[in-house]
Amino acid sequence: MSEAYFPVGPGLGLEENFLSLDDILMSQEKLPGRAESTLPRLAFALGQGAGTGDSIPEGSNLEIPLWLAKGLHDSKRRIISVELPKIYKEAWRTVFSADANVVDLHKMGPYYYGFGSQLLNFVNPENPEIAQTILQTFISRFRRIMDSSQNAYNEDTSALVARLDELERALFRAGQKGLNDFQCWEKGQASQITASSLVQNYGKRKFTDMDG
Amino acid sequence: MEPAEAEFLAEKELVTIVPNFSLDRIHLIGGDLGPFNPGLPVEVPVWLAINLKQRQKCRLIPPEWMDVEKLEEIRDQERTEDTFTPMPSPYYMELTKLLLNYASDNIPKADEIRTLVKDTWDTRIAKLRLSADSFVRQQEAHAKLDNLTLMEINTIGTFLTQALDHMYKLRTNLQPGESARSQDF
Repeated sequence: MSEAYFPVGPGLGLEENFLSLDDILMSQEKLPGRAESTLPRLAFALGQGAGTGDSIPEGSNLEIPLWLAKGLHDSKRRIISVELPKIYKEAWRTVFSADANVVDLHKMGPYYYGFGSQLLNFVNPENPEIAQTILQTFISRFRRIMDSSQNAYNEDTSALVARLDELERALFRAGQKGLNDFQCWEKGQASQITASSLVQNYGKRKFTDMDG
Repeated sequence: MEPAEAEFLAEKELVTIVPNFSLDRIHLIGGDLGPFNPGLPVEVPVWLAINLKQRQKCRLIPPEWMDVEKLEEIRDQERTEDTFTPMPSPYYMELTKLLLNYASDNIPKADEIRTLVKDTWDTRIAKLRLSADSFVRQQEAHAKLDNLTLMEINTIGTFLTQALDHMYKLRTNLQPGESARSQDF
C-alpha cells in the first residue's frame, strides 16, 4: 500500500519469471561449456574470433550465458554441452556444508541461489546434491541475515550486505524496512504527511512562485 | 500491515477518563457513549479519549496494567519463560505510545513505564527471532506461537514470509519429479 509499484520477483525454481528483471540479469551469468560440433561462423558472436567468418571448432571450450545454454542444450542434437561452474562442484559444496556463513556469496556470482536452481534443469547426476547444498546454505545463512537486518538502524549497512547475494539482499531490505517502519512509527513520524518520492523530482512550481 | 494501521485498530480499546464537561448519551454507529458528567469516570474508546485530552476536556486514568510493579512482574516473567506470556492487552505497545505521548501528566512514573514496556518488547522480539530461526533450521511445516501481538507480527512478518517463500521454492527443487522442459526445434 505504501509502495509505488510492485516489481515482479525472481522465479527461483526450475522455471524463471519472464518479466522479472532479477531473472533476466541472472540468466546472463556465464557457464563453462564445450562445443560438441563445429559452429559455423559463430566465433564472433561468442566472443572467440576476430572475423565474422570464423567458426568455432569442435571441442573448444566456451563461456556461454545461461539463457543461451538453456536454449541450445539438447541431448539429441549435441550442439553444446555444459559443465558445472566451480562453486557448484564437490570442493565448494564441502566448504558450504562446513560453514556457509563465511563465504562471500556476492563474489561467487551474485545470483547463487537463482543460478543454482536453473542448473538443475540440465541433466546431471549431481543434481540432488546441488539442490540440497543450496537449501542448506540458505538455511544456515538465514540467522545472520535476520539478526543483521533487524538490528542495524540508521547505520551504514554496506559492510553487512557486501557478502550477500542478490536474493539475500532483497530479504535484508525487507527486514530493514520492517525495522525502519516500526522505529519511524514510534517516533511519531508515521502520521506526518511527506511528499511522495515519485513527485519530488517533478520541479513543480510552489505557490509562492505563481504569478497573479 | 503498517504500524500506523495497527495503531488505528488499537484505538478501539476502552480506557477510563474523568471528563470536566457534561453531555448526554451520544449514539454512534459502533455503540453508545456516555452520559458524561464532570468528575464521574466513564469508559470511552482511546480515539475519543485522546481527542478530549488534546482539547483539555478530560483527565485520563491509566489502565490498571500500566503500573510499575505490574510491568516489572510481566517483564521478569517474560525473561524467565521460554514461551510468550500473555500480555495484559493485545495492543500494549500502541497504547503505551499513545497514552504516554498525549497524557503523560496523568500517568505516574511515565518514564519508568516506557522503559519497562520497551524491555518487555525487546525480550519478546528476541524470542520471536529465536523461534523463527529454529523454524527455518528444522524446516518444519507449521509453527504455533501463542500470545503474540499484532505489532510484533508486523515487524517481523514481511521478512519471515519472504524467507519462507524462498525456502519453499528451494525445497521443491529437491523433487526430482518432472523433467526439465526443453524446447523442441
